[in-house]
Amino acid sequence: MQQRRELDQVYTNRKLLNGQLDTPKWWLPTVSILGVVVLIGVVVIAIMVNKGLGVTGLARPVYWGLFITTFVFWVGISHAGIMISAILRLTQAEWRRPVTRAAELLTVFSLLTALVFPLIHAGRPWRIAYWIMPYDVSRGIYPNIRSPLIMDPVAISTYLTGSTLFLYIALLPDLGNLRDRTTGWKNAMYTVLSLGWRGNPRQWKMQTVGGILLSALMLPIFVSVHSIVSWDFAVASAVEGWHSTIFAPYFVIGAVHSGVSAVVTMMALMRWLWKWDDFIRPEHFDALARLLIVVATGWLAFTFLELTFALYGQDAPEIALREMQMFQWPWNALFIIFFLTAYAIPVPMWLFKRVRTNIALMFWTSILVNIGMWLERFLIIVPGLARRTPFVYTWEAYRPSPVEWTIFIWSFAWVTFLMLLFSKFFPLVPLFEQKESQVFTKDVMIGRAKVPAIVREAD
Amino acid sequence: MSKSILGLFQQPEPAADAMDGLKEAGFELGTFDVLTGTPYPEGAFGEYVPQHRLFRFPAFGAIIGFTLSVFLTAVTQLAYPMVTGGKPIMSIFAMLIIMYEMTMLAGVIATVVGIIFESRLPNMQPGIYDTRITEGWIGVVITFDDESKVADAESVLNKAGALEIKHA
Amino acid sequence: MASQAVAHEAEHHAPPPQVAADVISTELVATTTGASGRFKAWVWILGILSIAGIAALVIKFINQGDDSTKWGYVAALVSFLLSVAGGAPMVAMAPVMAKANWVRPITRIASLFSFASVVTLIMLIPLVAILPPLVTEGARRRTIWYAAPDYSPHFWTTLALVMLLGTGIMLFYSAALPDFASMRDHSTGWRQRLGKRLARGWVGTDVQWRTLRMRIGMFGTFYFLILVFANFLFTTDFGQSMVPGWRDAILPMYHTVSGFQAGVAAVVIALYFSRKYMKLEKYIHLDAFWSLGRLLFALTLLWIYFFYSSFIVFWYGRSENDIATLNHQIKGPMIWAFFGAMILLWFVPWWILIWNKVRRGTTAMVMGSFVILLGLMLDRIRMFVPAWSVPGDQIHEKWLKEIPATYWPDIFDIVIMAGGISLVAFIVMMMTRVIPVLSVWQVQEFNLLSKPIKYIRGHATLVAKPD
Repeated sequence: MQQRRELDQVYTNRKLLNGQLDTPKWWLPTVSILGVVVLIGVVVIAIMVNKGLGVTGLARPVYWGLFITTFVFWVGISHAGIMISAILRLTQAEWRRPVTRAAELLTVFSLLTALVFPLIHAGRPWRIAYWIMPYDVSRGIYPNIRSPLIMDPVAISTYLTGSTLFLYIALLPDLGNLRDRTTGWKNAMYTVLSLGWRGNPRQWKMQTVGGILLSALMLPIFVSVHSIVSWDFAVASAVEGWHSTIFAPYFVIGAVHSGVSAVVTMMALMRWLWKWDDFIRPEHFDALARLLIVVATGWLAFTFLELTFALYGQDAPEIALREMQMFQWPWNALFIIFFLTAYAIPVPMWLFKRVRTNIALMFWTSILVNIGMWLERFLIIVPGLARRTPFVYTWEAYRPSPVEWTIFIWSFAWVTFLMLLFSKFFPLVPLFEQKESQVFTKDVMIGRAKVPAIVREAD
Repeated sequence: MSKSILGLFQQPEPAADAMDGLKEAGFELGTFDVLTGTPYPEGAFGEYVPQHRLFRFPAFGAIIGFTLSVFLTAVTQLAYPMVTGGKPIMSIFAMLIIMYEMTMLAGVIATVVGIIFESRLPNMQPGIYDTRITEGWIGVVITFDDESKVADAESVLNKAGALEIKHA
Repeated sequence: MASQAVAHEAEHHAPPPQVAADVISTELVATTTGASGRFKAWVWILGILSIAGIAALVIKFINQGDDSTKWGYVAALVSFLLSVAGGAPMVAMAPVMAKANWVRPITRIASLFSFASVVTLIMLIPLVAILPPLVTEGARRRTIWYAAPDYSPHFWTTLALVMLLGTGIMLFYSAALPDFASMRDHSTGWRQRLGKRLARGWVGTDVQWRTLRMRIGMFGTFYFLILVFANFLFTTDFGQSMVPGWRDAILPMYHTVSGFQAGVAAVVIALYFSRKYMKLEKYIHLDAFWSLGRLLFALTLLWIYFFYSSFIVFWYGRSENDIATLNHQIKGPMIWAFFGAMILLWFVPWWILIWNKVRRGTTAMVMGSFVILLGLMLDRIRMFVPAWSVPGDQIHEKWLKEIPATYWPDIFDIVIMAGGISLVAFIVMMMTRVIPVLSVWQVQEFNLLSKPIKYIRGHATLVAKPD
């Protein structure tokens, strides 16, 4: 499965640093277009802050709509980084190597984007600034730590800080490499950022041991973040479909599903855009797809349990909600699309090796999964609120306004924009990990068969 | 004033020979080192890496984070004792979440500080170096307190097959 | 000083010794014979306890077979056995699917536990007879079977456990074919005849190896799916459904994951005793304890995660259902069992297994594993005893208005629990007389694929990854 290629360091440097040392032709036009979309989004956000949340489709009883769905979606995407980087590092999977940095980067940028949504969702966002720092001590009022809405930013900030620092630490050897390949102001910038990296055994040992230690510390954080986000919903007993104990692991495994799919999308794009055919190979997609099959099936089990126990309670409002969610227009259409795109189409396709090693098919199926997972969050959040019950006195259904859709599109443009900006200054594929794989892998002969092998240090 | 020299090799075997030669010639452990552009298995060059204390950093950070979080959550609840949702004023189960996150955050930050510190960074005057090291060359660097041993070191490096020797 | 440190490190992290393939066959096949006096003594003790347990079960059924409130401890025992005997073969399956090399020598000992699932079935029989039908006193209680026939839980749970036993045995047998061939070729007497029959003409052709791997993958996947299914059915039909208002969607998964934790702990214990008393240090390396230790540590942390996820939702909810569930399962009569379970399943193992030194050794690992098993028993008691203590006439209420009083185990319960656990150990020990406790062909494969090498001037292990 793991095919070894002999790639010398000069070639590796030249190929993987082509984003920093040269600029690909497509880079500037793409970044410009994305920049325009980002700007439009920012202007629309500013209009919304100025005019108030009335420009959105949010109204009693649907107080949480597109923004919160997209917030949960981006937090979900952010789970890719630690899954790939930390778990696969701890299990010493060789095939993680090309993907770790891009996955960690996706984590950082999607978390930054996710954090924007609760901020703009407040009717008066400037009040958030007032009561976070410093605490409004003179009136004796403090944020209520019992509220999941306070736990959320604490968790997300922890994860964001941890991921950013992890990203930086793992970037140090490559910053040293870039310092060695550049001159002028770029050289000065990389010299400062690399902190004087030389590559002696002590520093390499700290990379290895520190990487493992940070991975082990980040993993519990990764599990806790999406669990805390899920408790935004699960602790509320008033809304049907929300008060279920299974939300925490359900959301986490859904996040891993959508996050790893997003990494597949990103890997395909990286291979095509920067022509990294030697480094991002079909066997990486094969391995990721196998992981996805397991994760997706686990996710399906959790979905089944959630639905079963929702109906198990024999609670009339809950049953009415599920009936609306699965059998009434437009929710039934959304439900069918969700199920087809999140599981029923991609996973059976991934069972075939020919599909797993076909990069175009992997690209499109991974996008399908994320469409489905966005719909999943939408179907969890909105129907429970939207179900018209007595005393609500609302006759309209929730319909997201153009403002909400624009900001939704802005979030995708913003993440892509940031990733492309990053790629101009820092390599998306960790060079030292690629070079490390050349040192740590060999081909051995067992009889007449040439078998790939890994060099394991004495633990 | 210490002086250093850097011997450059293109293959790991000769570099390991140079390290062996320096040990046999009586150079003290810790005065010579090997520089690579990629990590090698530990001990591959017979190098000496002293014990690290990295594991103390997350422990220390976690204790600080835990203490701060207990203080923050307990004091804010007691300072404005408002009952929400029938929960007690000191809602320990809710506090646990913020305590957990802050403990982990402090632990991670301390670990990162530890990694940078134990790597002996930032080191804005890293000393003698060659940019070809990140292209696959391997450097053996020796630092001297007195200049009388420079010639011995040079002869060891040449004997091992150094392609170039730089002085600083 | 530095050289002392280097010497100690080298001894501590010495790679596994290379052993020739024929020596492996002979030595491991020889472990099936020549049981020591200590082994025989333990077999007798466990056998007597097992018989006593079954006898107590029968007597209890005769005397108390009409009162479901007296069967909580037996239900807790079935849950415990499902977790341990059901979860242990996962060690034979999951790391193999992940293509881990360290697990190869130890898969046999893990899959031997699948035979112990027969004990789960034996203990289940009276429960199936006593479990009330879905409609009692004219009212239907909450159930996952909705409008299905009244005896659906009885049928489907039994079927799930029978399938678990069957698939587990097939998983064992698929992987054991080459070793039955080794028994045919290297042992004598009835073992040789049994090996010949069960080896079914195994000679080791390419086609046979490929079919073997395919079967292991297939049965491994089925086993996992059925295990989750069995956990789901048992916890719901024999647990949640017995308590009005108890709606805990995470409970099946909580039960499954703590089952894996217990299964890994059981494998560690079995490995420890095999290594020590059968003198298998050459084959059961510290690597295995290291990797199992990491797995056990992760599962220990997962326990508290799953527990807290369910607890916090009830604690925040504060409806009558939520408060009743918390009082019933945690804060009320079961508070001491709960604290015991939490400390033994999470707190103590966490602080034992977190240290690298512990995971590289065996003694602390096995102590941690015993602690986990004890904690699991307390946890299952905490869940199932109050569940079965709810009187039959309240079982279909909307929520639990009256928390039943603490029910302490009587002498039959204690003998049944001791007997059930003894029977598991007895079965595993007896199976080691029939087939080598370590998989001969996988130990040979491990030696083939993993070799110590000198890397320039350092020591490392070269691990081939043919898949």
